Amino acid sequence: MTGSPQPVVFRRVVCRYGRSIAVKRVDLTVSAGEHVAVTGANGSGKSTLLRAVLGLHPLAAGDILVGGESANGTSGWMARRRNVAWVPQRLTPGRFPLLVDELLGSAIDCDVARDSAGDLGVAGLLRRPLHTLSGGQLQRVFLARALGCIAGGAGVLLADEPTAALDFAGQEQVAAMLAALPATVIVVSHDRAMSRTCDRIAEMAAGRLRIA
Amino acid sequence: MQQFLDLLTLPPVQRSGVALLLAAIALPIVGVFIVGLDIVAVRFAVMHVALLGIAVGFLTGLDPMLCGLAACAIAGAGVAPLAQRPSGLPGAMGLLMTFAIAGALLVLSVSGVNATSAFELLWGSILATRPVDLVVLAVLAAVIHLLFWRYRRPLALLMFDRELALCSGVPARLLMLVLLIVVAVAIGASIRLTGALLVDAVTILPALAARNLGHSLRSMVLLAVSFGFAGNVCGFALALALDQPPGPVLVLVAGAFTLVTYLLPEGAFNASTAARQDDDRDLRGAVPADSLRQ
Repeated sequence: MTGSPQPVVFRRVVCRYGRSIAVKRVDLTVSAGEHVAVTGANGSGKSTLLRAVLGLHPLAAGDILVGGESANGTSGWMARRRNVAWVPQRLTPGRFPLLVDELLGSAIDCDVARDSAGDLGVAGLLRRPLHTLSGGQLQRVFLARALGCIAGGAGVLLADEPTAALDFAGQEQVAAMLAALPATVIVVSHDRAMSRTCDRIAEMAAGRLRIA
Repeated sequence: MQQFLDLLTLPPVQRSGVALLLAAIALPIVGVFIVGLDIVAVRFAVMHVALLGIAVGFLTGLDPMLCGLAACAIAGAGVAPLAQRPSGLPGAMGLLMTFAIAGALLVLSVSGVNATSAFELLWGSILATRPVDLVVLAVLAAVIHLLFWRYRRPLALLMFDRELALCSGVPARLLMLVLLIVVAVAIGASIRLTGALLVDAVTILPALAARNLGHSLRSMVLLAVSFGFAGNVCGFALALALDQPPGPVLVLVAGAFTLVTYLLPEGAFNASTAARQDDDRDLRGAVPADSLRQ
C-alpha cells in the first residue's frame, strides 16, 4: 500500500528557542507530490522548520497543514506522524542499544523497509546495534525506514540532510531514489545534486524564507 | 554442610529464598529501565518520597505503607512531564528528593511522630519476609513482566530516542508515565521488602552488568535477570554457609559479578554473532593489498 501524496502548507510559521526566533513568519505551500529542496546557511532555521511539521519543535505562531489538516491533541499528532516519514539530521544513538532490524521494524511497512535496506546496501547489518554503524550506514538505514513508511501509507517525506554522510555514489543513488518517490518531499540539503532533482528550491536565511 | 541444609528447612529462610528468586525475576528489569532513563539516584528520591507518604499516613490515620506506595506512584507520575526535556529526569530526581525529605520532616513534625520510627517502618530485611510480602513481590513481578514483554518494541524505541519513538507512533508520554510509576512503586515496595541496601543488588547492579554485555534491550533484560538470579542464589547460599547477614554478602557478590563485566575488553561480548559474521565475511572478501599493486 502506498499513500497518496499530501500537500504541506506553512502559514506564517514562527518558531523560537527561548527569546531568539529561529523561524520568522514563513509562508510556503508545497503541492501534493511536489519535491522541494530547502537550502540555506547553517542556523538559518531549516531543520527547525522541518521538526515543527512533526511537532518536535513547538510553533510560537502560525500553523502547518498536512493534507489540509492542522494537528491538535495527542491523536491529531499521532495521525500527523503516521502520515509523515522522517529522516532526521542528527542521528544520535541513545543510551540504549537498538538493533537495525528493530529500527526498520518501526516503519509502517517493515518488509519494504527491509527490502529498501537491501537496495541501499545495508541488508547485512540487520543484527547490528545502531551505535556500531558508521554515519553513512546509519543514514542509509534511516532512509530505508522512511521508504518503508512511504510504502505503508505516509504521503509526505521530510528528509533533513539525508546525504550528508554518504559517499558520492551513495549521494547520487539516494537523490535518484527520492526523485522517483511517489510522495510530497521536503528535503533540507546542501547537496547540489540533490537540490537539482527537486521541482523547486526554497532558500532560508536568518529564519526567513527568501525565495519560494 | 548439615548445618546449611538445616537452615534451609527454616520457614523464614525459605521465605527469604523465594523472595530473592521473585526479586531476581522482576527487579533487574526495573534496573534496566532505571539505567536506560539515567535515573540511578531514583532509589534515594523514592525512599524519601515513601517517607513523606508514611508521614502523611501517620498524620491522617491511614495505613502508612499504603500511603508510602501511593506517594511513590504520585511522585513517578509527577516527574513524568520532565522527561520531555532531554536532560530532565536525572535533575528531577535530585529535586524530588529534596522536596520529599523537607515535606516528610515537616509532616512528621506536625504529626508528632519520631522520624526514626517512620524510617524503621520503611526499611525492611530479607530475613523478615512475611507471606504477604511474597504476594506483593509476585504481583510486582507479574506487572513488570507484562509491561516489558507487551511493550518491548515501543520501550526499546523510547529508551533509544524519544523523538524517534514519537515519530514511530509510540505514545511516548503515556508510556513514560506508566514506566515511571512502575519504577517508583517497585523501588518503594522493594525497599520495604528487601531493605534499602539490597535494592541496589537486585536492580541496579544486574542492569549495569547487562548494559556492558547486551546488544539490544531484549538481550539486556535477559542478561540482567540472569545476573540477578545468579547473584541472589550465590549470595544467599554464601551468606547462609558463612553464617553472615545476607544483605552485605548479596551486594558484594552482585558487585563482583558486575565488576567482572567492566574488566572484560570492550566489545568482547558486545558485538552480536551476526555482526561478527558480517565483519568476517567482509574481511574474507577484501582484496589483498598485494594484488592491487600488481
